[in-house]
Amino acid sequence: MVKRLILIHGAELLVLILLAAIPLLVTNTFVLGLLTLLAIYGILLIGLDVTVGYLGQVNLAQAAFLGLGAYTAGITVTFLGFGMVSALAASLLVGLLFGGLLSFPALRLEGPQFALSTLSFSALVATTLNEWESVTNGAQGLSLTRPPLFGFTLRAQGFYWLCLVFLALVWMAMRNLLGSQWGRAFEALRDSPIATDAMGIGTYRNKAAAFTFGSGLGGLAGGLYAFNFQYLQPHSFTYELMVILLLGVVLGGRKNLWGAFLGATLIVLLPNLLSNRSLFQIFSAIGFTIALLAGGRSFLRKTMKPFQALAPIVAMGLLVVVSVTVQNIEDLRRAIFALMLFSVVVGLPEGLMGFAARFLAKLFHVAPAPLAEPARLDAVLATKEHGGSGMLELKDLKRNFGGVRAVDGVSLVVRSGQVHGLIGPNGSGKSTLVNVISGLYAPSGGTILLRGEPLVTGSLYKAAHRGISRTFQNLQIFTELTALENVMVAMKDTYEKPLPLVLLGLSRGEERCAQSGALALLDLVGLKDEARTPAKDLPYGAQRFLEIARGLARKPDLLILDEPAAGLARPDVKTLVSIIRKIHDIGITTILIEHHMEVVSELCDVVTVLDGGLVIAEGRPEEVKRHPKVIAAYLGASA
Amino acid sequence: MTASVVPQLIVSGALMGLVYALVAYGFQLTYATSKSINFGQGELVMVSAFVSLTLTKLGLPYWLMVPGGLLFGVLLGLFVERAAVRLALEQKSEGWILLSIILGLFFFSAAENIWGRDDQPFPTPISSDAVHLFGISITPLEISVAVGVFAIMGLIELFKRTTLLGKAFEAVAADRDAAELMGVSATRTVMLSYGLSGLSAAVAGILVSPITTVGPTMASVLVLKAFSVAVVAGLESGFGVVLVGLFLGSLEGLTSFYIGSGWREAPGLMLLILALAVRPTGVFGKAVIRKV
Repeated sequence: MVKRLILIHGAELLVLILLAAIPLLVTNTFVLGLLTLLAIYGILLIGLDVTVGYLGQVNLAQAAFLGLGAYTAGITVTFLGFGMVSALAASLLVGLLFGGLLSFPALRLEGPQFALSTLSFSALVATTLNEWESVTNGAQGLSLTRPPLFGFTLRAQGFYWLCLVFLALVWMAMRNLLGSQWGRAFEALRDSPIATDAMGIGTYRNKAAAFTFGSGLGGLAGGLYAFNFQYLQPHSFTYELMVILLLGVVLGGRKNLWGAFLGATLIVLLPNLLSNRSLFQIFSAIGFTIALLAGGRSFLRKTMKPFQALAPIVAMGLLVVVSVTVQNIEDLRRAIFALMLFSVVVGLPEGLMGFAARFLAKLFHVAPAPLAEPARLDAVLATKEHGGSGMLELKDLKRNFGGVRAVDGVSLVVRSGQVHGLIGPNGSGKSTLVNVISGLYAPSGGTILLRGEPLVTGSLYKAAHRGISRTFQNLQIFTELTALENVMVAMKDTYEKPLPLVLLGLSRGEERCAQSGALALLDLVGLKDEARTPAKDLPYGAQRFLEIARGLARKPDLLILDEPAAGLARPDVKTLVSIIRKIHDIGITTILIEHHMEVVSELCDVVTVLDGGLVIAEGRPEEVKRHPKVIAAYLGASA
Repeated sequence: MTASVVPQLIVSGALMGLVYALVAYGFQLTYATSKSINFGQGELVMVSAFVSLTLTKLGLPYWLMVPGGLLFGVLLGLFVERAAVRLALEQKSEGWILLSIILGLFFFSAAENIWGRDDQPFPTPISSDAVHLFGISITPLEISVAVGVFAIMGLIELFKRTTLLGKAFEAVAADRDAAELMGVSATRTVMLSYGLSGLSAAVAGILVSPITTVGPTMASVLVLKAFSVAVVAGLESGFGVVLVGLFLGSLEGLTSFYIGSGWREAPGLMLLILALAVRPTGVFGKAVIRKV
């Protein structure tokens, strides 16, 4: 524990002290300029990493946010006479504001559409900076003088230290944020937005927060950028810078503060690398050698696809050819960026830091932080009375898809504390019915009452907050999170600290609490020993159980299990039955969709049979099995 | 005066809009088979135009140069598929977004160094003497753009509907897995779609260059508008891109006249962001039902 603390925080502190001390040892304005830029780009890339790394989206707007922040600082200082602090605050605010505005359309989008909307935003910003000449001075550029900080005029050295202070603050805030529920939620919604909503975490809320936050950092970096260069031009913030920034994040390593820092270092050094031909030759030769060794090895051992192993070698080889044959490398700047970025994206998708982190962890044998003690199960899930009163009531519920009546007027009552089976042939409307109840689909007609009160329909998030939790027929676990984090991220009534306290790192208590609660639930489904295993590495059956544990973390009034036994091996089915029995003992009302009749007979208090979107029978399992309509529906015999 | 200026602006703008529609159609072709689009499509247009220009300078007559340029476009499309898209699709990742941006950047830089940064005129045998129709002046060159765009889109649609290969294309577009099980190679169909997409980019380059001149920066201008058209129309409707292209082109003509040519891109970009916010599947796209 102590070793871990010293190694991780010690390294951070050491680098910070080193960076701060350099200007005292080296009095070179060129070096100082590079260091200042490094601090600024560090902040910028940490912001970009939130969307590119954690949300997993290609964000092409960060250069535009840098520009917006820079111009805000420039304009407020030049025209409005702002001081340094207020101008930087304005830059941050403008970044947050536009980030928030853009997140409204962008937050509904995924993949290419997200990239496109950020690209259009960048182009719009570039157009505005260029054309709104009365304010921005257009293509001529805007000159400004660095205002004093609290009455002190900052020289280059002092300003560098200021940037460094900001970098350190942003670093700490980000580490706290990403280590909290927010960071888990960001990653979770990349893996499965549907499950994030169904677990009441809120997809849009978190996505908007992440994007706004990253954009705000872009704005802040822009303010510092303006005070560093004291001269702004619209074309500094266009497509090319954006590609360089992406290069920084990807090359440094995504989802990693050190990666962002390393990336910033590389992109600060890059222009100097290109201005010196022999240095560039050495660099490209090193790059080629690495690609050749690593690519060749994985090609021979067949750990990578041939293309993935060989393409970086070709690209780096081309770089060597360029470095030897072309006299003025500056002319080919963009092609060189492209070749480098291509090699990294294809050959080393985890970036330098992702690669180095594994290596360092092995070298120093850093044990992961110890887990909290599991809580008592009844402290997490209070035992409920098996009252038998109505928990869920459906009245004439309907859902059409075009002309298909998937659910065609279903009325039923699920009593509290019972396991209510829902069976029927394929296409009988079971899944549609629970999708309507849990809010994935809005009903076409009818009402849903939960504890006698109407349920807001058509919203997974709202249904989750009313106490409905569910699993999915096709697994929707958060693959990149560990088993423990999968349960922690869904934990209800745990995370109450407001964002500012989280940023300051004052939410450790509720983290421990969430951890011990989650461990208790993992224990319930028999996965306590797999707490640290990434969910994608769990066997199929364990993934199903994990989804149940995650559903329980919502402390639900009503738990919907959508074909939990589908695809399970026989021993796993037995485990499943015992898990559901435990849930039954706690008194959580459960709807169980299932095809395995022995599971249904063993567990269910009541069974409803659907066919063609209608209820054809209801009763105790053994009654239902003998019901002529049910036999007809399953076997096709005329009743 | 104004009375005749407005229709004139609308018609000239709409003709340019058809070129955007053709580039946007190139996005649709690849989106149909692989749910991916080439973010460097504009560079394909530009490089194909430059290659065609070089062929002309080598002394090839126009009617031989055109197939040469088109062939090059197809090859470039195939290259993009191999280098940027296939691996990402195999890994089911969205890495193709970044990789196709990177390839675009590479093509841009290469073009800058091979053909220079300046805009160059593109010779054509088609006359650019204005003809007057109902008080609007229009050149045969502009008419050739319209004819060319409709011809290539019509041919590709005909190919998709009538040939066996085209049916394979439609099958993969409808359901990739099912098509694979029926013995259609999805990888080859995606290659085909990228080839066709490169072809349409080359056509766009050859058609538009005599009007706009050829230069490395023609790509970025063109591709942003094509994105707007594709997104506003939806990535599925060929008919939609033509309509939206015509609309956006004329809107742009009016904007650059009344507000200033520096702002000409603004309406398209705002339309794009708005369309994504209000209707992410586009005006002519189908709403998707979330399935679990």
